Amino acid sequence: MRLPLYSLGLTPSLPCKVPASVSRERKEIFRERGRRDNGGRKKESFEVEKKKKTSKKIQATRKEKLNTEESLLHLKQEDTATDYKEFSENYKSAGESEAGNSESSGDEGIHNTGSNEGLANEAQSEDSEPDQGAEESDSSEDEVTPRNTVGDVPLEWYKDEKHIGYDFAGKKIKRKERQDKLDSFLANVDDSKNWRKIYDEYNDEEVELTKEETKVIRRMLKGKAPHAEFDPYAPYVDWFKWEDAKHPLSNAPEPKSRFIPSKSEAKKVLRLVRAIRKGLIKFDKPKEEPRFYMLWGDDASSSEKTGHLSYIPAPKPNLPGHEESYNPSLEYIPTQEEINSYQLMYEEDRPKFIPKRFTSLRSVPAYENAVKDSFERCLDLYLCPRVRKKRINIDPESLKPKLPSRKDLRPYPATCYLEYKGHKGAVMSISTEASGQWIASGSSDGTVRLWEVETCRCIRVWEFSEAVQYVAWNPLPELPILAVSVGQDVFLLNTGLGNEEIQRKVKELLHVETPTAPDDSGSKGWSWLQDGEHEGIRLRHFKSVYSVEWHRKGDYFSTVMPADILFFHCHLIVAILIHQLSKKFTQRHPFKLHGLPVSAVFHPTRSIFFVSTKKNVRVYDLLKQKLIKKLETGLREVSSIAIHPAGDNVIVGSREGKLCWFDMDLSSKPYKVLNCHPKDITNVAFHRSYPLFASCSDDCTAYVFHGTVYSDLNQNPLIVPLEILRGHAGSNGRGVLDCKFHPRQPWLFTAGADSLIKLYCH
Amino acid sequence: MVARKKHYRPPGKKKEGNAARYVTRSQALKQLQVTLGFFRRLSILKGIFPREPKKKFKGNNHTYYHLKDVAFLQHEPLLEKFREKRSYEKKIKKAEAKKNTALATLLRTREPTYKLDRLVRERYPKFVDVLRDLDDCLTMVHLFAALPAVERAKIDVELIHRCRRLSHEWQAYVSRTYKLRKVFVSVKGLYYQAEIEGQKITWLTPHAVQQVLPDDVNYSVMLTFLEFYETLLGFVNFRLYHSINVKYPPILDPQLEALASDLYALSRYIASNSKTSTLEPKAASSSTSEQVEDREKEMQANESELRLAQLQHQLPSNEPGALMHLMEDAEGENEDDQDTKDCKRLFKNMKFFLGREVPRESLLFVIPAFGGVVSWDGEAAPYKEGDQSITHQIVDRPTQGHKYLSREYVQPQWIYDCINARIILPTEAYMVGRIPPPHLSPFVDNEAEGYVPDYAETIKRLQAAARNEVLPMPGVGKEDLDDPQNLLVEGYISRAEANEAAETKQKMAALEKQYHEELQIELQGAVMKKSKQGSAEDAKASEESVPDPKQIAEDIDRMAKVGMSRKKKGLFEAIEKRKERNTARVNKLKERKKKLESSEN
Repeated sequence: MRLPLYSLGLTPSLPCKVPASVSRERKEIFRERGRRDNGGRKKESFEVEKKKKTSKKIQATRKEKLNTEESLLHLKQEDTATDYKEFSENYKSAGESEAGNSESSGDEGIHNTGSNEGLANEAQSEDSEPDQGAEESDSSEDEVTPRNTVGDVPLEWYKDEKHIGYDFAGKKIKRKERQDKLDSFLANVDDSKNWRKIYDEYNDEEVELTKEETKVIRRMLKGKAPHAEFDPYAPYVDWFKWEDAKHPLSNAPEPKSRFIPSKSEAKKVLRLVRAIRKGLIKFDKPKEEPRFYMLWGDDASSSEKTGHLSYIPAPKPNLPGHEESYNPSLEYIPTQEEINSYQLMYEEDRPKFIPKRFTSLRSVPAYENAVKDSFERCLDLYLCPRVRKKRINIDPESLKPKLPSRKDLRPYPATCYLEYKGHKGAVMSISTEASGQWIASGSSDGTVRLWEVETCRCIRVWEFSEAVQYVAWNPLPELPILAVSVGQDVFLLNTGLGNEEIQRKVKELLHVETPTAPDDSGSKGWSWLQDGEHEGIRLRHFKSVYSVEWHRKGDYFSTVMPADILFFHCHLIVAILIHQLSKKFTQRHPFKLHGLPVSAVFHPTRSIFFVSTKKNVRVYDLLKQKLIKKLETGLREVSSIAIHPAGDNVIVGSREGKLCWFDMDLSSKPYKVLNCHPKDITNVAFHRSYPLFASCSDDCTAYVFHGTVYSDLNQNPLIVPLEILRGHAGSNGRGVLDCKFHPRQPWLFTAGADSLIKLYCH
Repeated sequence: MVARKKHYRPPGKKKEGNAARYVTRSQALKQLQVTLGFFRRLSILKGIFPREPKKKFKGNNHTYYHLKDVAFLQHEPLLEKFREKRSYEKKIKKAEAKKNTALATLLRTREPTYKLDRLVRERYPKFVDVLRDLDDCLTMVHLFAALPAVERAKIDVELIHRCRRLSHEWQAYVSRTYKLRKVFVSVKGLYYQAEIEGQKITWLTPHAVQQVLPDDVNYSVMLTFLEFYETLLGFVNFRLYHSINVKYPPILDPQLEALASDLYALSRYIASNSKTSTLEPKAASSSTSEQVEDREKEMQANESELRLAQLQHQLPSNEPGALMHLMEDAEGENEDDQDTKDCKRLFKNMKFFLGREVPRESLLFVIPAFGGVVSWDGEAAPYKEGDQSITHQIVDRPTQGHKYLSREYVQPQWIYDCINARIILPTEAYMVGRIPPPHLSPFVDNEAEGYVPDYAETIKRLQAAARNEVLPMPGVGKEDLDDPQNLLVEGYISRAEANEAAETKQKMAALEKQYHEELQIELQGAVMKKSKQGSAEDAKASEESVPDPKQIAEDIDRMAKVGMSRKKKGLFEAIEKRKERNTARVNKLKERKKKLESSEN
């Protein structure tokens, strides 16, 4: 609890009182200097001595007084009307806290003295005259010596004793009767000066503080120097005489390092020198050039051509439309259902930007994809290949080919003129008689009907048990024979037309002797039989016959059986048969077909035979018995074929709705492919005399084309679409099943799946 | 150097065709001996892009560069600079790893630098070329000017400040020379279109709100682009400033700069500079001598170097009157084209005041670009809200508390719509608290699009009326002009109405004519058909009746198509498809509109 007095600054009479910290600083300065100029100046001892003395001096009583005083002051400030008990408690605790503080400051003092020990010892011998007075005054003459002589012992030891210690004479000092609490309280109330009174435990007496003392305490509480006169920031007066001192401060010889140049400094310097020599460090700062200058001063000089490739400027980003506005018209904003329906779309179809509407500019938020859009633009700029493309701004009408006027190409069938009614089922096939007076039609209801063309009258009906596949008139006008394919049979029917002579001839022709060896015919796969019911020949095949075609001379005819895979692999690869009517003789088509046969046609003038398989058309010379040509259609599935009457041009219809025109002299590839029908082409036909051809399809339409073939070989055929014929209704997904031209007039017969036959005229 | 060919080629025979002319990207990397990142950087800076060979000899999923392009890169000095830089970075790294901080810091101070000036000149030999390609540059710089600085994306504060500065310089030029033509407020931001030296330059600035930086973006690529664009825009600005006799790196009033009104500071700088260059410096100094003194005092107070510089440049006074004078001065030069004159005149004699809530930067740019005078609510503003001569106050709040009777209160959209329409629109629809009429894009050609929004038509009518007003009015004498305003307004309105009536009449007449023509055609067609039928037999089935003319047309179409070649058909179909899409879009709009109207009624 004892503290060096100076640390509390309770020596008002001192003329030059220095706070501990200040003095310490000063000492350090001394030490520094002493080291620097080893000139034996050791006069600073006075200071040290003073320190020592003051630290030794213990002003216990005063100290105690102070403590109590301080705590009391605290109390007074807080509240004066407290009872005694509380008062004493506070008193104790305040004392304790104060003790803590003082301890720390005491430590400082001790430390100071310790550090200066050596110097002090050295200085002992020296006289410190000029400061002596000041030193003396530091021990404060007005100090009252303590009554108690127990020294620095804990007062607890005397707690239970009657005395509190001993006086100088060695007599016990009796403990005074303590004022009881009530009295002290009353005294407190009565005497207004009572707050200045402080109980000194050590000496067991009450001390009254003077006004000056309380002032000092107040200043200290504020953290100021205790004395008002003291100026902590007074200019430093160096009263030490540095020059002309007789004795050095230190006796130690000067270290060698003071005389020789520093190695580490030399290293540093060397490093710098090297760096400067190398040019790493430059002293003159580079002149700052203006960052921007006139880059495009004169455009004339820059017009020289650069050696490299042409620069393709990137296309500019699209400019925003109305829908990107922050406040677009209401019609630009999609409804909620529409926005929901966007979710069902493919991601690339989905609109990238959904218009939104904000009623005021202040409510528009930041666009969340701003950075991303910019980034994507960057990627486009440096990653996308750039190509200079010509933007074609053409009228779509100009793309259409210039066609010769249709009026110049008349006559051609354009309008429906007659309808032939009577069939119950779809009309599968029709055929015109060579004279053009009659047509025959076969239907899926199992009937073959014979019509008069101009009157639409049904002359005759043959009934069969199965659906009729195909009907074909004999091309000779003097042989009015009709070939009808029904299931596995081909019937050759006598139509009963013409005069008697013709009838006789026909009957003769249609007579077959009874088969001599039925087993033989079975092995061959076909047999000629007499059909009594229909007065004709029944030519039995091993498989259902798809089509029958006559040779131009009317003696031969070919039948095609659509062989399927099963038969294809057997030895009986006889999908195409050629029959001779006059000899009742049948022979196989002698060549191997690469593919499934679809139809077979005779050349209109020469003995050439066309067989179309699903992909190709093969052309055989029947006399030389060899393959002449293979026409590559490039189609997926050929359905029909027709030969131009001159024989050099072939049209092929396919199931994908394409029509190929082959010029046999030109190439084996199609000269022209007309993509006219959206559905299967069922049949194609050439007119025998007019430059017309037609195609009919399951989409219930028939196209009529103009197709001129020039005799000049250098000129390509002219193909012009003329008319689309409508009128048939579809049934079961089938439309027009067959079309045939009238042999003399530019008329077209069409057979529909709606059981009607129509005649289109010009 | 090119990668060795794999397949056999007889000795002495060179590669031919596309394979000889093009290389894939990886081949190019090998040839240049650089990493992909380097290559990217280099090709961005050099403006090298892949090209499309006619035949892709390596397949479709490769990018092909022209061999000449690659050689062009190979001879680029920048390539060497990059390599140098990289090896230098290695040195620093090494020094740091050895804890040799002194060396590391020393090295850091002397890092090799490079310049892109030559590249700019090389890529754009003529100034017009730059202006043509400036769109992306401006959009990018404006975007970065609005972004926050982010350490992780290496977007530092200085960069953003530089971008801001550049963008403001550009805007100040455009505004000063009245080159701005169109403005469009979209959800994505504000689109501006300026016309400089005959080039239309469109750029997008984001809205003035906090932007978000997505993670799935490669910022290094963007920063490389930005590096080039910064240089480019700097040179462009230099050239443009030079063309109006203003010293380029502008020295700005630090006070204004601190208040983030750079644009205003810039415009003042330009104005003063061009003025001093055109007028005599003496006159300028005398007109602002008082101000100069004031400034001197101020300057002594804070002793800033910049201020000294400003003094040399004779910054105009702080009062708005000075600015107005400048505007008038500028009008003296009669070298602008008609369009610029129109733009200059649009907001003439109008004084605007911006509320706190409106986009200030945009309006500060836009209004002076059309000849208006503008101030704002804040420090360093040229004039305060209480100024009696203010004609319009731009506000964007639900209600306006205190209103001056002498001025009109409009929403910011009014400004933009006026600019796009090039007339002063009536302000009723844009009053405070109302939902303004739809804001339409000025970039759309409504007629070509096939759908004209209602408001576009209204604007068109107003424009026509305004044009009429400009024409000399024979009936109105000078006395009439002196009459109270409402009379004039009445006249104006009646004139507009008359005009409208005449227009509708004309339209009607045209419609009638068209109808008659159509009728005639139809009649002729019918006659023709009849004659055709007459030639055919009368027995023609009645059920077939007259064939649909539409059907006939369709048939003709189809037949024409039959004869087309595949290529042409493809083209034809594409055109048709586009047309169809367009009509579908227009139909959808019409349908929506009809629905809206029906729901309203």
